Amino acid sequence: MKKLRIGIFKLTSCDGCQLVLLNLEETLLELFRFYEIAYFREGTDRTLKDTFDLSIIEGSITTERQKEEVFEIRERSRKVITVGACATSGGIQALRNWSSLGFLKNIVYPSPEHIEALSTSTPVSEHIYVDYELWGCPISKNNLEEVLIDFILEKTPRIPVYSLCMECKRKAIPCVLVSSGQPCLGPITKAGCGSICPSFGRPCYGCFGPKEGANINSFGRILEKSGISEKDYLRLLDQMNSYAYRKRRFTNE
Amino acid sequence: MPTGRGDSLMSRKIINTNPISRIEGDASFIIELKDKRPEDIKLRVFEAPRFFEGFLIGRTPQEAIDFTARICGICPVAYQMSAVHAIEKLYGIEVSEEIKALRRLLYCGEWIESHCLHIYLLQGPDFYNLTDAWSSKDYIDILKKGLSMKRVGNKLIEIIGGRSIHPVSVKIGGFYNFPEKRQLTELLPEIERAYEESLKMIRWASSLHYPELEMEQTFLSLGDMGEYPMNYGLVISNSGLKIEMDQFLALISEFQLPYSNALFSGIRDGEAIKPYIVGPIARLNLNYKYIPHEIKSAMKEAGIYLPLNSIYQSIIARTIEVSFAFYEAMRLIKDYEEPENTPYEYKPIHGKTVWITEAPRGMLIHVYELNEKGCIKEARLIPPTSQNLYHMEYSLRLFFKKYSVEIPPEQIKRTCERIVRSYDPCISCSVHMVEI
Repeated sequence: MKKLRIGIFKLTSCDGCQLVLLNLEETLLELFRFYEIAYFREGTDRTLKDTFDLSIIEGSITTERQKEEVFEIRERSRKVITVGACATSGGIQALRNWSSLGFLKNIVYPSPEHIEALSTSTPVSEHIYVDYELWGCPISKNNLEEVLIDFILEKTPRIPVYSLCMECKRKAIPCVLVSSGQPCLGPITKAGCGSICPSFGRPCYGCFGPKEGANINSFGRILEKSGISEKDYLRLLDQMNSYAYRKRRFTNE
Repeated sequence: MPTGRGDSLMSRKIINTNPISRIEGDASFIIELKDKRPEDIKLRVFEAPRFFEGFLIGRTPQEAIDFTARICGICPVAYQMSAVHAIEKLYGIEVSEEIKALRRLLYCGEWIESHCLHIYLLQGPDFYNLTDAWSSKDYIDILKKGLSMKRVGNKLIEIIGGRSIHPVSVKIGGFYNFPEKRQLTELLPEIERAYEESLKMIRWASSLHYPELEMEQTFLSLGDMGEYPMNYGLVISNSGLKIEMDQFLALISEFQLPYSNALFSGIRDGEAIKPYIVGPIARLNLNYKYIPHEIKSAMKEAGIYLPLNSIYQSIIARTIEVSFAFYEAMRLIKDYEEPENTPYEYKPIHGKTVWITEAPRGMLIHVYELNEKGCIKEARLIPPTSQNLYHMEYSLRLFFKKYSVEIPPEQIKRTCERIVRSYDPCISCSVHMVEI
């Protein structure tokens, strides 16, 4: 079998999701039997050329140059998968979308005129067609492994889109929302992390983004009954997947 | 425009190189050639800024712990450690010895994971003239050893923090959850094996060929706390500096250069601002006395003598620190008692706080000012890479001076990349600093 050419690209991000790939460790070496890493700047000196069977993009779009870059990646790639909260929903840096960029630049840099940045941070899918999205901050190792194997087998990945609550129930983790009244984003958040926070008695803070069909506003009203104000609720949503939660909130109003 | 005869014979050329590979984040070189000879070099950081200091404003201190972790997927624990200690200092919380020990254990996991990534996947291939760690049969055994050690570091973070990247257990006053002793002791045999392996790798690291690049330099790290530094200490240097963390801030100066999205920083020396080095090489040179006897013997057998003066040799320091972190992890696990959180009564506190911890790559400085509501009014984060950037350019220029003969630009780039990689730069981290 001819090896599949894979390209790994980074936009604006923390590198964590690329690291998930390297953390596959021994499985990674197995995967090299099927994949040829044709571009991966963090891991190899090989320069960008030719086309890819699969491109994996980490990071959100925050500069003009990145807009052009993703077009080029799309043109060179048979399939494009985006990984992580940054690439799928703009990431934590999308909090700039609700703030003035000038203000932020002035806070961080003494000479803001040298800094090139867009006033928004957006998911890759707002700029090019994306074949598959893997959510999470960071993505789960198992999900990534599954996607990479499914691609070899030419089958569509079946990553769950239901809420985190399902994972908690399956693991028999006491509900932090019902039993201890903590504001847990589990009911409106995608499963995938393995319910790490609830298993530690900590409410979910939304690493995997809104689940399909989540009714953000109605959940807000439920929280309000237990004393969480709308402002506090919005603050909970305004973390790593702020843009996705806010968008969904608007559309189901 | 050149008009005179002399000028027309001179040619000036500016080369913008491709991005540097095998480092974390986006950076490249601007190389200037005069008469085909190297004239000047600049390190251009074009990683897009994320403005963390901006959107931390108005958020709660607990949120700072989880938000700043997102600055770096390789060293999230470091961000959590600097943040939680800074906040606890302001709140006047003194955590128990057991909590301190568990946090140190968590940090050991991150040092192992981050160092092994750099040693075996990023920098190692340089010594074998390879483009990456996986395409040569000669290197694959070394890579496998490196990955299996790295995995043990990751497992340690997973047990304590739930996952190895952006772990979720750290909170003000302690942890959301404590691992059971059994979970940790089950990992002991694996740690022991990895420790034995890591001692052998010290010899491997010392056997590599190091190009000459010796220079006079200032090393800075935490120290003077009776242990190899992680979460506590004074700031010390090889020129006799010994000061409190908050006083250290007044000594450094951050400045911006037009070609870079990162701020550079140097240490004030009278009128001058001098480059300095933080990270494993600085830590080891300054804290050798706390290295356990067994590891010292392994160093001696491998013919390693301190101080290490060439930045290329920082891979040796990293390898020794991997052994140290395994050794320390075994000790901490054997002594582990399930702790209790330090209770504190939450009331909004207004004030300013500074804390520094030793991230895998060196001192990570967090400064927070809270407003009367107890929310963040101002945040300033100075990661190790931004402290090393100035020194990086200094080393690159030194190389330039030394080799100012005609050499092909491609070779210049390759050598410069090797120099930059030796610092284990984390470019994503470096673009989030704030003006003094």
